[in-house]
Amino acid sequence: MKIKIVSIIAFLFCVVLTQAQIDRSKQPEPGPTPKINLGQPETFQLNNGLTVMIVENHKLPRVSVSLSIDNAPIYEGNKAGVSSLTGSVLGSGTKNMSKDAFNERIDYLGASINYGSNGASASCLSKYFEEILGLMADGALNPVFPQEEFEKQREQLLTGLKSQEKDVAAISNRVKNALAYGKEHPYGEFITEETVNNVTLNDIKNFYSQYFAPEKAYLVIVGDVDSKQTKKLVKKNFSIWNKAKAPQVSYSAPNNLQYTQINFVDMPNAVQSEIKVVNNIDLKMSDPDYFNALMANHILGGSFGSYLNMNLREEHGFTYGARSSVNTDKYGAGLFQASAKVRNAVTDSSVVEFMKEINRIRTEDVKEETLQNAKAKYLGNFVMALENPSTVARYALNIKTQNLPEDFYETYLQKINAVTVADVKNAANKYFLYDNARIVIVGKGSDVIDGLENTKLNGKSTVIKYYDKFAKEVEKPEFKKTVPEGLTANNVVEKYLKAIGGVDKLKMVKSIYKTAEAEMQGMSINMEVKTTPNNQMAVDIKMMGNSLNKQVVNGDKGYTVVQGQRKEMSEEDLKSSKLTATTFPELKYINNSDISLNGIENVDGQDAYALKVSDKLTSFYSIESGLKVKDLISTKQNGQDFSSSIYYNNYKEVDGIKFPYTMSQTFGPQKMDFEVKEIKINEGVSDADFN
Amino acid sequence: MKRTILAITSLFFTVTNGIAQEVAFEEYDLENGLHVILHQDNSAPVVTTSVMYHVGSKDENPERTGFAHFFEHLLFEGTKNIERGEWFNIVSSNGGSNNANTTTDRTYYYETFPSNNLKLGLWMESERMLHPVINQIGVDTQNEVVKEEKRQRVDNSPYGGLIYGTAVQPHLFKNHPYRWSVIGSMEHLDAASLDEFIAFNNKYYVPNNAVLVVAGDIDIDETKQLIKGYFGAVPKGEPIIRNFPKEQPITQEIKVTEYDSNIQIPALALCYRTPAMTEKDAYVLNMISTYLSDGKTSKLYKKMVDENKSALQVFAFNRAQEDYSMYNIFALPLGDKPLSLLETEIDEEITKLQTELISQKDYQKLQNKLENDFVNSNSSIQGIANSLARNYMLYDDTNLINTEIEIYRSVTREDIRNVAKKYLNKNQRLKLEYLPESAK
Repeated sequence: MKIKIVSIIAFLFCVVLTQAQIDRSKQPEPGPTPKINLGQPETFQLNNGLTVMIVENHKLPRVSVSLSIDNAPIYEGNKAGVSSLTGSVLGSGTKNMSKDAFNERIDYLGASINYGSNGASASCLSKYFEEILGLMADGALNPVFPQEEFEKQREQLLTGLKSQEKDVAAISNRVKNALAYGKEHPYGEFITEETVNNVTLNDIKNFYSQYFAPEKAYLVIVGDVDSKQTKKLVKKNFSIWNKAKAPQVSYSAPNNLQYTQINFVDMPNAVQSEIKVVNNIDLKMSDPDYFNALMANHILGGSFGSYLNMNLREEHGFTYGARSSVNTDKYGAGLFQASAKVRNAVTDSSVVEFMKEINRIRTEDVKEETLQNAKAKYLGNFVMALENPSTVARYALNIKTQNLPEDFYETYLQKINAVTVADVKNAANKYFLYDNARIVIVGKGSDVIDGLENTKLNGKSTVIKYYDKFAKEVEKPEFKKTVPEGLTANNVVEKYLKAIGGVDKLKMVKSIYKTAEAEMQGMSINMEVKTTPNNQMAVDIKMMGNSLNKQVVNGDKGYTVVQGQRKEMSEEDLKSSKLTATTFPELKYINNSDISLNGIENVDGQDAYALKVSDKLTSFYSIESGLKVKDLISTKQNGQDFSSSIYYNNYKEVDGIKFPYTMSQTFGPQKMDFEVKEIKINEGVSDADFN
Repeated sequence: MKRTILAITSLFFTVTNGIAQEVAFEEYDLENGLHVILHQDNSAPVVTTSVMYHVGSKDENPERTGFAHFFEHLLFEGTKNIERGEWFNIVSSNGGSNNANTTTDRTYYYETFPSNNLKLGLWMESERMLHPVINQIGVDTQNEVVKEEKRQRVDNSPYGGLIYGTAVQPHLFKNHPYRWSVIGSMEHLDAASLDEFIAFNNKYYVPNNAVLVVAGDIDIDETKQLIKGYFGAVPKGEPIIRNFPKEQPITQEIKVTEYDSNIQIPALALCYRTPAMTEKDAYVLNMISTYLSDGKTSKLYKKMVDENKSALQVFAFNRAQEDYSMYNIFALPLGDKPLSLLETEIDEEITKLQTELISQKDYQKLQNKLENDFVNSNSSIQGIANSLARNYMLYDDTNLINTEIEIYRSVTREDIRNVAKKYLNKNQRLKLEYLPESAK
């Protein structure tokens, strides 16, 4: 193993550590940057194309081995799951050993060997390395595919899929990828019950023989080994692998959105919303602005102290953590993603803050100090990663597989150090899209959708598209809210009575006199209402001084006068007026078992409990304030059902009791807004008014 | 044919029989009672500075559960000389990484830096110990953050109640403060006043209740000087007296059903109250976990997942704690298999453990696995620092990092049978059916 001593150009301000008196009021300065020894693995290739890398490190008596095949992404289509199943059936014994004997031997040596569709890995104590390497190669190159094992793995995969059905995080990932890449792209497709059931044993055998090929394969061995002897061992075990190359299909890169939009998936069980702001990027590790993008992302959301986390977690307490990432891809299908899990109530606010920070890094220069700090973090990570001997192997592997120059890691810190404030801004504008962002939100629609619909970005309302859990576009679902367990109609009534002044105060009211005025087609309409607790009510509606409609209830008698025509009330109408013809009808609702709580509905943008008072009347009370916000009245006229609504707003206090000062009545398309002019308590009403 | 090739090549190998290198360390006390452990390893330019405080959820007032974990958040808010919000920036702008975590028994903070920042790590941890700023802004912010952490980890996460113990601990413990989980109650945290937080700090965050570990690329003498300078002035606190209520033995199986709205596949949890982590029996129980569910040929995996195809997953593990441990066996059914079948299958294996000796071969396999785990457990400086702190604080034996393997080696097949007989009985356990909310 060759070791190159690479002295890293330190860009931090260096001070020699001194033994002076400690001054804790000042942050200690760092000592000189440590020298870095960047080793290189022993690398060679077998005739079949397999590239082998060996890193000797004798600190601990252990070895790790990994085999990875650098295949192009594979689209599995209606057999999605075939690669996953191939990986899980591999390792079920070999042509030389039964499954039980194979597994038993690995476990007995205290080692582990794992297989996947694109390779394998193993770890063991160095004294067992030779045997474990042999077993790993045998399992990878001489596999058997028993039908029974295939069926078991398929059932496990299906049960695993089922276990994700209510997992907000899993669904968020699936939908995000499917929408960002499209379901026809290898990165966007996903496994379903149907596609798994399409996979046969033959499919996985074919998959293995097509794709498990040495031409683009890398075997990396790290640990307490002797390179020379290991080389011989690798040749013995891996030369039997037939030279072959897996098919390499390329896919067109996905397109970004025309305009920023929200893609919403409803999960009624969610207590947090998963927000992911994404756009496609074409960023490769070999690109000249790769380091600029790394710095920009680090400052936006790559660390605890980033723009996103400091805003959403530390300033607002919306989330346990907000982060962003740039995924590079050598095939051009990379992704930028900013994400957080936030509580339902702040979903819309979080979207605004996310976009604010993305806009900030695109439009404002980052502070020089911020950029220096980001660079220092990368220096530290780079230095500390060298503690792990596999780092050297990982770097060498990246140089090969990501088409990087040979000195990529030797000059890594220089390149980080060269990034300027302007570079960060340019990278942010290129890779973090503000006007073409896809905001994928998975959450509880009934709690969050109203807020999202009112969310404005750049002063414009945001388009919301709805998807199901499998990324299929759907109509906007109806979001049903559920009443909290244990809450009763009586609780709602009590909360209302308390909110308007309290039962004691309301019971002191002997009469209410109220006048209100509305305008209709340029004419004013006046209403006068008088009520007492003794089942007395008189309502008179006048236009230009002429009575249009008058209703009077007095105990068990009542009549209406419509345009001069008097009519006695029916038994039925009188019966229902027993509840309503009074000062505060809700006083009669207390412990009334005929009244039921019928769920939660949205009234003018706020959630309200729906209380069914009778077949003719449903009243709505705001969850937040407890106040009555609406009456829904159903009537029958000439055998037809009609409904009208009265909305109550603008509550004001009169003698310590709250009354709505705006009452808007709708009948079909018509609407009348009554503004209260006067309310008098315990004056202006006499028994004669109800004759 | 293949086998013979392997046999020949093995001649070329000089097999090393030794196990992990010994972890050398030095330990001493400062005058204020702070225990210090130093471990020097100059092979990589990395240093970890960590402090473990002997305070966990079990030290909480039953009316203020969640306090210890909340505190872990609060102590990143700032100190007299570190402004609010700057903690993480200082760490990352010096190339470091840091974190903290809380268990039922202790709270642990650490920073790992390139080794030119040893001084910085010491400064930060001494600032935290000497004069953290505990104010209402910090309490209010972290209150929201902790609630989000609970939603993310427990309430919105499949099997969160099993993973974080909220569905297990209240049933397994009736008197001891292990009866509540580390995440605690959000109502309790809402109700807590600033004075209570300050009192908690003054009681538990004192040098005589802590251990400082510095591990990695250091010079021992220089480090000692620095530690004296930074930590020497921290005032000693009152001694802490712990006297937790004892549990009565469980004599009848506790049957409970809990629901989780984030799952579709139910789970069976069999949980046993087992002895303190320091008892030899706790080590034996760790071995039983390995025997039952570690590896494809472990008894429960092979039988339930591989052969009978009744389970999607099964795992046994001992959650080791200072006063009592919790031994858990969790299983998820495959397809529509009933939980009762899983229970029967698990019970069969436990009965075998209680009545028969495990085979010599299985015993050797266990020893080999434990040796492998032992070598891997000391593979990073950060990991070594954590082990040293834990071994000192909870096991009262810092050198356990080197001798733990000997305890496992001393366990016999008879010990395994006896421990299974003593603790893993049906009438001593909690049987928890953890079901999807939709099954209600």
